[in-house]
Amino acid sequence: MALPFLAVQLGVSVILILAVTLLAVRLGLGGDIRLGGEDEARTLARAALCGFEPVDTALDKAGIAALLRDAQGRVMLLRRHGTQFAARLLDSHAFTRLDRNFLTVGTGERHFGTITLDLGGDAQVWAASLRRLEG
Amino acid sequence: MKPLGPVEIAIPFFILAIVLEMFWARRRSPRAYEPRDTLTSLALGTGSTLVNALTAGLVAAAALWLYQHRVATIGWAWWAWIACFVLDDFNYYWAHRTGHRVRWFWASHVNHHSSQHYNLSTALRQTWTGFFALSFAFRIWPAFIGFDPAMIVTVGAVNLVYQFWIHTEAIGRMPRWFEAVMNTPSHHRVHHATNPVYLDRNYAGVLIIWDRLFGSFQRELDDEVIHYGIVRQLGTFSLIWSAFHEWAGIARDLWAAPWRYKLGYLVMPPGWSHDGSRDTSDAIRARWQDHNPA
Repeated sequence: MALPFLAVQLGVSVILILAVTLLAVRLGLGGDIRLGGEDEARTLARAALCGFEPVDTALDKAGIAALLRDAQGRVMLLRRHGTQFAARLLDSHAFTRLDRNFLTVGTGERHFGTITLDLGGDAQVWAASLRRLEG
Repeated sequence: MKPLGPVEIAIPFFILAIVLEMFWARRRSPRAYEPRDTLTSLALGTGSTLVNALTAGLVAAAALWLYQHRVATIGWAWWAWIACFVLDDFNYYWAHRTGHRVRWFWASHVNHHSSQHYNLSTALRQTWTGFFALSFAFRIWPAFIGFDPAMIVTVGAVNLVYQFWIHTEAIGRMPRWFEAVMNTPSHHRVHHATNPVYLDRNYAGVLIIWDRLFGSFQRELDDEVIHYGIVRQLGTFSLIWSAFHEWAGIARDLWAAPWRYKLGYLVMPPGWSHDGSRDTSDAIRARWQDHNPA
């Protein structure tokens, strides 16, 4: 008797979850968030890693990601995650690919994924810089 | 049919409150909600309810065993309810504090913190692995001193229901007397923040007095913009990864670490590593204090 009740509870929960999520979509919550400029990217990088003080920043032209370097030579990838941003320090160039103005950067973490940044003329400079990372 | 408990009774009100907060967010702060994040949080909540239902019998059996070997019988007097509630809230404080300071327990608790949002759906973002981590041991021991297990379960559920409403940015500060004694949205925003000044603070469930007593209280600062989530943000809405990522991390570390350090990856604080290559919250706070001397 207990198990069917649990199954009904699960079914009702799934319907409610989908309804609430659909409502969030219909209300326009979330949205298309972009980096407003290098200052915002630097602020987010500092918040992501205490002690990381960017000295060089490359912003994706669409504002969905940025690469930042600090005085120690550490390179941070900042990328959009929903309406927020998530960051990783890059420790390898193994997941980096250059295609003219577009630099694809990954971390090796399957769930974090890869991101392609439109860096214009800076793409080649940053690609060369990333090649100095191990592996 | 089994009578409904406090949590089951509260669920319709939870849903209604989330819907109302969404309408508030549409007017005041559309970024407060992200539909995919909400979906993950609510799915984690449903999964947690399911796992709890499946394991409740074992937890109850453990509590009943303790009660059968009790040293006293406290009974059902009105004052016993109050004593049980306060004792359970004290236990919650230490369970929660341990959940942040011991990686084994953090692996179970982390998914409640892995959202970068702070809204009422975050409150329902509950663990799937609490039973596996044996976190219930912190809460059932009062059966041994004579509190009835049914009373312990009931006050624990009331504690959980209370904590729902504090997961919001829609409420600023409560009256001063209330902020002094009770856990509030302001206190709990601090708890969910990744700002170094806020890391590992405000573990309270209902009564904030435990944090004030045991030195873990931090008030919300007006000029500090809060960043929510975990120190190393997940960067994914994957339900399964949200539920199990820290367990996977523990497994990786146990596999790779030299034998004499393996235990450390289970019992030391999150971020600890045998070669010092990672940061604990204490290390992050110390570095922040170096950069921001008072």
